[in-house]
Amino acid sequence: MTENNSGFVPEQPDSRPLDATRSRLDPRRLRVHLRVRPRLDARGQTPHLSPVSANRPPRIAGSLLRLSIALALVYGTLGGGLLYWQVMQAHSLTTDAANPIVLAAARDAPRGTIYASNGDVLAENAAGNQRQRQYPYEVAAPVVGYNSTIFGTAGLEKSYDAQLTGLGSLNGADDLLRKFQALAYNPSDLHTSLDISLQESASELLGDQHGAVVAIEPATGRVLALVSSPTYDPNKVVDPRQGRSYVASLQSNTDSPLLNRATQGLYVPGSVFKIVTATAGLSSGSITPDTTYADQPGEIQTGFLVDGFRIHDFPRKVQTDHPLDFYEATEVSDNIWFAHAGLATGPMNLLQWASAYGFGQRIPFELPTSPSQVTDGGGSFGGFQDRVELANAAYGQAEVLVTPLQMALVAATIANHGLEMQPKLVDYLQASDGTVTQMPSKPLTQVCDASVASVIGQAMQQAVEGQYGKAFAGAAKVPGVPTAGKSGTAQLGGNAAPHSWFIGYAPADNPKIAIAVIVEGGGAGSQRAVPLAGQLMSEYLAENP
Amino acid sequence: MTAAVHALNRVGIRPRLRRRELGLLIIVSVALTVGWISYVSFRDGRLELADTAILTTYLVALFVIHGLFVISGRRMDEILFPTAAMLAGISLLMMQRLPQDLVTQNVAGNELGLGQLQLFWIVLGFSLLTAIALLVRSDGWLRRYKYTWAAAGIFLLLLVFIFGDVTGGARLTLRIGPVSGQPSELLKVILVVFLAGYLAENRRALSESSTRVGPIRLPPLPYLLPMLAMLGIALAIVIIQSDLGAALLYFLVFLGLLYVATRRISYVVLGMGLFLLGSFVLYELVPRVQERIDIWLNPWADAQGAGYQIIRGLYAYGRGGILGTGIGAGLPQVGSIPSIPAIHTDFIFAGISEELGMLGALALLGLYLVIAERGFRIAAFAVDDFRSLLATGLTLVIVVQAAIIAGGNLRVVPLTGITLPLVSYGGSSLLVNGAVIGLLLALSDRGVEPPVPGVPRGVRQRLGRRARALGGRVESALS
Repeated sequence: MTENNSGFVPEQPDSRPLDATRSRLDPRRLRVHLRVRPRLDARGQTPHLSPVSANRPPRIAGSLLRLSIALALVYGTLGGGLLYWQVMQAHSLTTDAANPIVLAAARDAPRGTIYASNGDVLAENAAGNQRQRQYPYEVAAPVVGYNSTIFGTAGLEKSYDAQLTGLGSLNGADDLLRKFQALAYNPSDLHTSLDISLQESASELLGDQHGAVVAIEPATGRVLALVSSPTYDPNKVVDPRQGRSYVASLQSNTDSPLLNRATQGLYVPGSVFKIVTATAGLSSGSITPDTTYADQPGEIQTGFLVDGFRIHDFPRKVQTDHPLDFYEATEVSDNIWFAHAGLATGPMNLLQWASAYGFGQRIPFELPTSPSQVTDGGGSFGGFQDRVELANAAYGQAEVLVTPLQMALVAATIANHGLEMQPKLVDYLQASDGTVTQMPSKPLTQVCDASVASVIGQAMQQAVEGQYGKAFAGAAKVPGVPTAGKSGTAQLGGNAAPHSWFIGYAPADNPKIAIAVIVEGGGAGSQRAVPLAGQLMSEYLAENP
Repeated sequence: MTAAVHALNRVGIRPRLRRRELGLLIIVSVALTVGWISYVSFRDGRLELADTAILTTYLVALFVIHGLFVISGRRMDEILFPTAAMLAGISLLMMQRLPQDLVTQNVAGNELGLGQLQLFWIVLGFSLLTAIALLVRSDGWLRRYKYTWAAAGIFLLLLVFIFGDVTGGARLTLRIGPVSGQPSELLKVILVVFLAGYLAENRRALSESSTRVGPIRLPPLPYLLPMLAMLGIALAIVIIQSDLGAALLYFLVFLGLLYVATRRISYVVLGMGLFLLGSFVLYELVPRVQERIDIWLNPWADAQGAGYQIIRGLYAYGRGGILGTGIGAGLPQVGSIPSIPAIHTDFIFAGISEELGMLGALALLGLYLVIAERGFRIAAFAVDDFRSLLATGLTLVIVVQAAIIAGGNLRVVPLTGITLPLVSYGGSSLLVNGAVIGLLLALSDRGVEPPVPGVPRGVRQRLGRRARALGGRVESALS
């Protein structure tokens, strides 16, 4: 192997006559510059000398090309890493609670204020101490939550944390534009749809009893009231002196005051679920408004035998001697009729339309929600265990579990001609620089045809105002205003007092408010939930004619 | 002008204009000045260009170096130097922008801060770059004494091992009187020189297959052994010193060079296999390796402890977004505490990504790819195998090191402490990387023209002969 030790200039002249002439115009010199892949082999060697020269090592230029490709892949991966963290993960990183810029923003920038729909303050910075929040309305706690330096955030304080601190806006372009502005943080005020007087009334009417009230504007999905009882005092949570002991007492409280019953409490619905069954039955064509079951009058006495399980109706004063149609069955809340209807509708249809309402999923909302369910699932009968479970589920027993928010949405959907609007709490944000970001109403699902909704609405109006319905839900009637609704008495088994339910809306011909009320252990629907809902709807419509 | 040129010609120097380099340097100057205006304007809240002493010094230095290149008349690459100048310029801007008390040193009664110290090191590094680019006209001193170099490098590492100071949990720094440095930076160059020399000599034998172990064909082992031994010793020492970044760099550069010399993918596969096996063993044996891999997989498991630095780095990426916050507008510190530990050294890439955004960081990576392209071009056009391999190795040392630390910052690979070449703060790193660029420049001069007559050669040749005689004796003893 010859070696070139002397310097950059090879001592042995190159075998090609390259250096023989040095003219700048020599075409061979030009060729050197134009050549893309130089021949590097056999350089400094006399080709004929070695017998192994047929076995030359590979050309380095060729290897370099492959190495370049590998290097490009490596750098491409780095570019992918940048894309991942700086674009895809940017928002979640920037609003992470442990991010020092979040802490810096909390220190440097005043947090935005949260307002009720009438302009009353729901959350603001304490005078003289920017880092402590104060909450004038304790009843708004399930909605507003808290912002504590010790316990973090909850409620709207949590879901709009980035906007309240001004670290991020809902519009990505704003974040880009902000880079060119002097103000690093741009905290926003939240203007909510919460009707604080309705919220207070609902809380007062529930009193010491556990339960929840959700009121929604059907056409827009704006949440007017969202009450969970019992609740907590957010002012005590954020108080640095007593916060720790107060939160400890809340956590050990068996009444679960920290649980937002309105969005996360799961309850047996009883008869209010019949509205879901009716939607599935009528939409799938399995039943019609005129459907009757010939055996049904007799079964009031004997019970309806489904695969060895006997379904009974409650003994009631109102009896009829003819088979009931859909309107009458809804008016008198006939379990046997709905068990028949549920079996006729079938497991697939019932699950499909329940899912259209939002069952089985977390409802998209600004507060955390729990998914409602029709069945535990996994059973061999289309998800149900058997026909017995389906028959019982059809009138809201068996394994049906719902959140009050879900049932309020069911009522609002019927009121809004079958179109379910996404529930929302915030009407608009106003940034400190004056920018207003509207939060538009979004349709969620067209659950059923307007004609189906109209039939169900008519039945629900009959359930409140009809000759027989009055006995159950008459107390929900708003004086002088057509009112629709459905009461429910959710049996819990054993000797436990049933949950008292009502869902409905008013005015029936031009709905302005849809409501769901549950009073835990409140007895029959007519005892507690129905009059409570009637009074709240009356109050709201008196204030907002 | 022409008179001056004639005067230079008489002493044997033929100036050669470097228009492309000049143009690129002007672009670099404009970009850095705009960056400086952006930073100062944000800091002071009004549009202005102030505190320009550091910037001016740097830009003047760039054009002085360019002038020296022109006067020397060497046919060197015209793109490498502006690329390095841009990288170092970004570094200078960032160091000026970071809290100045991150590093301070008292020099002759003056308290110098981070920016001033970095300027000093960059100018020193670039002086070394210039000196090497202009003065190195022979590579005999590199290729002939490869064993000597390797032995010297390992001796240096041993000194660190015995006398070194511990920084950041790793024994890295050697202090001799007032001067301290990190020899593992220097060793990477020495290793490349050794490997290039060895592979150029033996690459034919290595690219032939003669031994078969199952499906894997191995070359004659005796040819591999000296190289593996040298690498093994270096790796063992840096791993014992917990300098994992350097160990990873040595290994990857070794694999890259071996592949380029032999084009045998089986070496790479085998090497990667050994690497995985070694990683597994190290994971079990060395707590530091275990910690690094654990925080790579889930930094949030110990967000306030081991994972703190990397999580803080990720926040910086998130804050930067696509366009970045702008220089000076990021949040590298909360109060007086840096928001990312080691933001001026190991995590400078995260700091730059925060303030220049994804686009800025991509451009920074692009600069390293430009270095790769130029380096590989120099390698492809070099006159023989040694220079090809040397240029390849020197290029790899820079671009692989940049990828290791950027990947560590980005959680693409486990984080190992190593500098971002030409950008991180630090004297050793800037000097060595300046020398690497200088060597690449010297190698890029293909020496088409013979040495200019008239250069006094007598003394130099005599000295050279004596040095070679001494070196030859050492070399033959070692090999």
